[in-house]
Amino acid sequence: MFPAMVDPTAGPATRASATALAARKPDLRGSRVGLLANVKRNAEQFLDEVGALLRREHGAAEVVRRKKMSITDPVPPEILGELVAECDVVVVGVGDCGSCSASAVADGLALEAAGVPAAVVCTEAFKVSADAMAALQGTPGYHYVRIPHPVAPLTAGELRERAATALPEIVATLTTAHPGIAA
Amino acid sequence: MAQADGAVATEVAADEERLAYARAAIEYAYQQGWTDGLPVVPVTRPMVEEFLAQTARPADEVIAAVRHLNRECTVEQAAVNAALAGCRPEYFPVVLAAWDALMREKAVVGGGWQSTSGPAPLIVVNGPIRHRLGINCTGGVFGPGFRANATIARAIGLVVRNVFGIRPQELEQATQGVPGRWTLCIGENEEESPWEPLAAEVGLPAGTDAVCATLLRTCEFVDNRHTQNPEELLTDFADTISRTGAAIVPYSSAGLVLGVEHAQLLAASGFTKRDVQQWLYERCVRSHADLERAGKGLGGRTGPRIDEYGLHMLPSPEQLMIVVAGARNAAMSMVVRPFGFAGWSRTAVRIESRE
Repeated sequence: MFPAMVDPTAGPATRASATALAARKPDLRGSRVGLLANVKRNAEQFLDEVGALLRREHGAAEVVRRKKMSITDPVPPEILGELVAECDVVVVGVGDCGSCSASAVADGLALEAAGVPAAVVCTEAFKVSADAMAALQGTPGYHYVRIPHPVAPLTAGELRERAATALPEIVATLTTAHPGIAA
Repeated sequence: MAQADGAVATEVAADEERLAYARAAIEYAYQQGWTDGLPVVPVTRPMVEEFLAQTARPADEVIAAVRHLNRECTVEQAAVNAALAGCRPEYFPVVLAAWDALMREKAVVGGGWQSTSGPAPLIVVNGPIRHRLGINCTGGVFGPGFRANATIARAIGLVVRNVFGIRPQELEQATQGVPGRWTLCIGENEEESPWEPLAAEVGLPAGTDAVCATLLRTCEFVDNRHTQNPEELLTDFADTISRTGAAIVPYSSAGLVLGVEHAQLLAASGFTKRDVQQWLYERCVRSHADLERAGKGLGGRTGPRIDEYGLHMLPSPEQLMIVVAGARNAAMSMVVRPFGFAGWSRTAVRIESRE
């Protein structure tokens, strides 16, 4: 209709290609579980609860805690390297803001690309940005675990409850139990 | 007589037809989702060439990126969006320098454009180029009404939208956003500032055409036409800087866009910029009791900004950006609120104009 008008969204094609997900085991017995927290309020506490439950109820052998100090940046290469070297699976979270939900999904995909199954936890409020990120990274439909929003103001008891509720889906995402994830 | 009227009527009709076409072009841009809500200028290839002629940088050079989205912006894409924003071609070197400055900001290269805070880039221009391009640095400096200020800032926002694909309620998750998010390009009022320009403070020779930039969460006025005492004035700034709402404990930050009268009062009392920064750094501390009352208690946390008195609201004296801008007609200033997680790079980028 306006053939002379320049499209301001046009540019060199993006190079994102789909990330192949890491191979999963049927369960978490004896596994080393990485917890990659961001600095958002209650993120570490939530993941600690998840870690404790995975040890207690699913036979995980140990927990490796790492914290990424910037909510806006992707996981630093040295932390990624440590997690890949020391863990069999990693739980990433909590994506409860615009930038950290997107970067949590990107971190999950980085772990998958390095061969480590990841379960990314985001709050429901950020479904759109998490989905958009997965699509941009070339892996539309990437499965992550959604929990109710918000997480930041929860008490210790409420956090424990939320972790317990999310646990089955986290386990399923990290193992072959999830229908959306191939073995 | 009737013949002359007929000729005018024909000319008006022809012009109406052309203007209707222009309107349709603008509507088309809306339908494509290319605008920030205001009309854009339809861009043609020859227009883009005019912009590219203003820089020595190759059209395919990448000037900005959002790595985690796998998105990059080239000189040419920035040119298209600057034209779309209503920039004149000669503004384009300022837009490029603004991108260079923004890409030195940790918050920008991370996920800042997607943040729930919806942060606004603050672009500060120093040097004679302010006058050459008509970049306002005096009355009404935060706008509206000045094409260069308004369109240079808007050009940044249109790249975020159109090139990075970061759109509101999609990848951009601003809860409320910042009023005037894509309008904050200001010149420093170097002529009436008692101190060295911002770009000189961070290392470029005075008189250099340069841009400094960071992301802001808001601007808050401090109206103090009440005192001639510098410490009383600084106390007034400290109150706004120290409010608990701006503390995302343990992070917070602030800067000052000082009105000319305030800056001159401080300088006449012997304060350098460095003195102002140090004074405010030492006194902008919010007590543990106040933080607890606001539900933001530090809960025994430790850190470089936390001591027995409470939380230091400024990460360091140097992080308090000080710019002098506005008219010398009332003693008021703005406390600006940088996106506090990552800090300001404290660098200035030279504007490379093609003369």
